Amino acid sequence: MYLIGEFREKDAVRAAIRMLRETGVRPSELDLFSEEPVEFPRGVLDRPSRMSLVSVLGAMAFGSLATAFIYWTQHNYRLVTGGMPLFSFWATGVITFEMTMLGAIVATFALFLWESGLVRKRDYSAPVPEVDPGAICLRVRCRAEDAPQAIAAIRRAGGHQR
Amino acid sequence: MATAPELLPYQRIREDLFRPLSGVSRNYLLATFCAFVIGAAGLVAWSYQLRRGMGVTGLQRPVFWGIYIVDFVFWIGISHAGTLISAILRLTDAAWRKPVTRAAEAITVFALMIGGMFPIIHLGRAWLFFWLLPYPNSRLLWPNFRSPLLWDLTAIVTYLTGSVIYLYLPLIPDMAQLAEHNTTWRRKFYRTLSLGWTGSDREWHALERAMKLMSCIILAVAVSVHTVVAWDFAMAIAPMWHSTIFGPYFVAGAIFSGIAALLVVMAALRKVLHLEAYLTRHHFNNLAKLLLLMSLLWLYFTLAENLTVWYGNEPKEMAVFGARTRAHYAPYFWSTVVLNFVIPFVLLGIRRLRTIRNATIAASCVLAGMWLERFVIVVPTLANPRLPAASGFYGPTWVEIAITAATFAAMAMLYMIFSKLFPIIAVWEFKPHPQEED
Repeated sequence: MYLIGEFREKDAVRAAIRMLRETGVRPSELDLFSEEPVEFPRGVLDRPSRMSLVSVLGAMAFGSLATAFIYWTQHNYRLVTGGMPLFSFWATGVITFEMTMLGAIVATFALFLWESGLVRKRDYSAPVPEVDPGAICLRVRCRAEDAPQAIAAIRRAGGHQR
Repeated sequence: MATAPELLPYQRIREDLFRPLSGVSRNYLLATFCAFVIGAAGLVAWSYQLRRGMGVTGLQRPVFWGIYIVDFVFWIGISHAGTLISAILRLTDAAWRKPVTRAAEAITVFALMIGGMFPIIHLGRAWLFFWLLPYPNSRLLWPNFRSPLLWDLTAIVTYLTGSVIYLYLPLIPDMAQLAEHNTTWRRKFYRTLSLGWTGSDREWHALERAMKLMSCIILAVAVSVHTVVAWDFAMAIAPMWHSTIFGPYFVAGAIFSGIAALLVVMAALRKVLHLEAYLTRHHFNNLAKLLLLMSLLWLYFTLAENLTVWYGNEPKEMAVFGARTRAHYAPYFWSTVVLNFVIPFVLLGIRRLRTIRNATIAASCVLAGMWLERFVIVVPTLANPRLPAASGFYGPTWVEIAITAATFAAMAMLYMIFSKLFPIIAVWEFKPHPQEED
């Protein structure tokens, strides 16, 4: 089942998260909803990300593929170069660079869509609270028997259950 | 549920910034109509050129790059407003950037779309533009990957892709809010574009990470794009083009004209959309200082470029130098010095004169000056090639002027449409800050 607590202060949310985690709730079972980003110190509600790594991998993949494509094309469909090399990294380096950057852009965007959950299969049974300006809503997924404990934690922290 | 009183300003901000999206005034319709007419005249001129061939332009031996290439370089330069200014300010976490970034990012996308059209217009046979793309074909012909023209293609495609994503990402939360506040077709439109954004912390974290990464990537791409545009010239062994400083010279000029474009657009938006409370003197003052700094940097590069040529006294280079500074093109060259340095230095350098109005005047002068500067770079070199007998002269025809005017109208029209569909200031990013007040 899902519980939703509404808070006005960031510190109250932080206290609620701490208390809920002490009762055994995992970070993956918690979701915050707000109209602007809410920042917490490391360790409160971390969301591990592989965006930087994937961005670098995307860049390397596109860069390598572009270079291989140019190399293959210039060796298979030869131009008259007047004795100069058929493939010159100096002369095609700009294309390699731009394609490398394009790879980073595409990978970053794709991972943004994935990590934010915007393109993943959603759990439509999970309620999405309507958030008032300035308010922060905390959604907790827990078993029915753990609900009273979670509700108590939300109230103790200064929130109210919706 | 009642809203806490301390949160009212945020609601007010939202209302103020969403208000311009609803309703269309008579002045708006009139401005859109004027832009449409000028744009349509440009399309008529282009269709005339397509039917009659490139002979209707002023291009003739030896000047085969005219104001289409000038426009191309100019618009690509303008596009540096968004990504560079927005990315630098975002990475340095400058608080005052918040009302400025979206306007700048939109300029980037529109300027790139317009700038990217010019190589196609300049081709003459525009319908064959796809020959630039690497695709398997029956004639076994592939593009020459060593050609700077193909460098341009890849650079612009990458930059446009990155800029569109960079504009789109911070629009998502605002579009989700707009979907809630609208009922008609707009609701469906915003809901589709916001991809079901709910405002969860996972989404915010992903967005912030993506924006930071994109800022880093787009900075590198933006610098590379205008360097590549500069190399279109510098790779040719032509007098006053074959220069090692052309890359940074063009990048500095691009940032310079980009800031100027942003200032002009901001002044227009402030007036038309009544955003006086959000685009304050503080923002104009900061951008004006940046413009002044870039003006000095532009002067430095111009001096470095011209002084070394003059001191070297190499005959072919001196022919171009003379054409620029003393002969046919001297009025243009000295106009660029006045418009890009003298006027901004006076209006922005003297603190008492650094008002919003003067900053806008200085920025408008810079835009005109930078267009002329591109002209002075492109044309005199081609008019005075290394073969003395081949020297010539270039003057644009009505076709080229109409197409150029149409691109300015297209920019205005795209911007007006954008400002009616999306909030021109990122609502979720904007928080009132005491230092931002006048």
